Amino acid sequence: MNVTFVLNDAEREFEIEPDSLLLDVIRAAGLTGTKEGCAVGVCGACTVVINGLPVSSCIYFAALCDGADVLTIEGIAKRDPAVIEAFVEHEGMQCGICTPGQVAAAYTLKREHPGASEETVREYMAGNLCRCTGYVSIIESVRAYVSDV
Amino acid sequence: MSELAFVSPTTVSAVLEELADPEAVLVGGGTSLALLARAGLIEPSRYVSVGGVAELRGIEVVGDTLEIGSATTLRELAVDERIRNDISSLAYSASKVGNPRVRAVATLGGAICHGDPRQDLPPVLLAAAATLRVASTRGTREIEIAEFYTGFMENLLEDDELVTAVVVPISVGVQSGYQRFTPNSADDYPTVAVAVSVRTDDEGVVRSARLALGGVDATAVLAPEAARALIGGALEHDRILAAAELAALHCEPTTDNRGSEDYKRAMIGVILRRGLEALIV
Repeated sequence: MNVTFVLNDAEREFEIEPDSLLLDVIRAAGLTGTKEGCAVGVCGACTVVINGLPVSSCIYFAALCDGADVLTIEGIAKRDPAVIEAFVEHEGMQCGICTPGQVAAAYTLKREHPGASEETVREYMAGNLCRCTGYVSIIESVRAYVSDV
Repeated sequence: MSELAFVSPTTVSAVLEELADPEAVLVGGGTSLALLARAGLIEPSRYVSVGGVAELRGIEVVGDTLEIGSATTLRELAVDERIRNDISSLAYSASKVGNPRVRAVATLGGAICHGDPRQDLPPVLLAAAATLRVASTRGTREIEIAEFYTGFMENLLEDDELVTAVVVPISVGVQSGYQRFTPNSADDYPTVAVAVSVRTDDEGVVRSARLALGGVDATAVLAPEAARALIGGALEHDRILAAAELAALHCEPTTDNRGSEDYKRAMIGVILRRGLEALIV
């Protein structure tokens, strides 16, 4: 079957299996910034933005994206480089595997909760796991980004 | 066997026609189905997405009830002003399911029909005495949520039926609450959970109470002995303690990887007390 959606600001058509997962479709399209972590929707590494909201692409049927606006880390970097800059400035990463998901979650957080408090940031980002940083630098990166209005 | 298909009808009647195929499964956000499919636990012939059916979305006040479309997302439930005001336990429990990525796409209907006893919404809807509106090409019917679950991840729905809406009664003087106990990470299923719905009169005397437990048995269950102990007096510390003890005594917890029978029993007592005390502060 075919599915058509806007991927990183360009309309694209993909030939998919009915049960293809979005993560596999975008990675096969060469957009390998989005990572697979746990593969069960828990770790957040595969987070992408669909119609402005965060979604685990590893447990999301690609067929559900028909007509949607899908943003991956590659598109976020172009649309709002400030989020990347905040992570760089506050060193919100070490190995980098979770970073595309952290950035995608920060991007939707800022739009769902403009000027979010530290408590809201911590609660919202709790679903994006990192096994390197201890989170402090990630929270600082996200706080700097969301408070920069 | 016919080839696997994924269809996205835009009307309820078109969805119901797709369900003529007994191997078809309904897809809301698909967050649980994708996992089940990936693990080889389900092998449907077709996926029928309900996200594009406008009739199944939205929240409406109808008389003394809130009618919530089954394709309404958990995020929408969590942020809706009417739900936050009229049944805060539903908004709160929806805001605690999984993580923001799940809540953005997971639907009310999916959360109900999946039927894992550790899920957050079933005990809340049970305490609220919610009713499910169900449709098929044969007609419509209503099922009280208290009658809906028949076993672990099993319910009364026939293969050709769709939950179209959830009807939640709203009455003056009712306070609701939800407590989940998660010794693991915050996004985990709770070890046990408690939903409370208590109606008091102008003098502060409890006139009716429904208390429901999650994570205990094969389905979310009511705790009628504890609820009865609250009726006829003010919601105060001694009566709350007595109710909590009754709930712990009468529940029949199943040991699983989130807690033993004894542990769950003890924690039911603790979080029911907390849940009721939260109503009086």
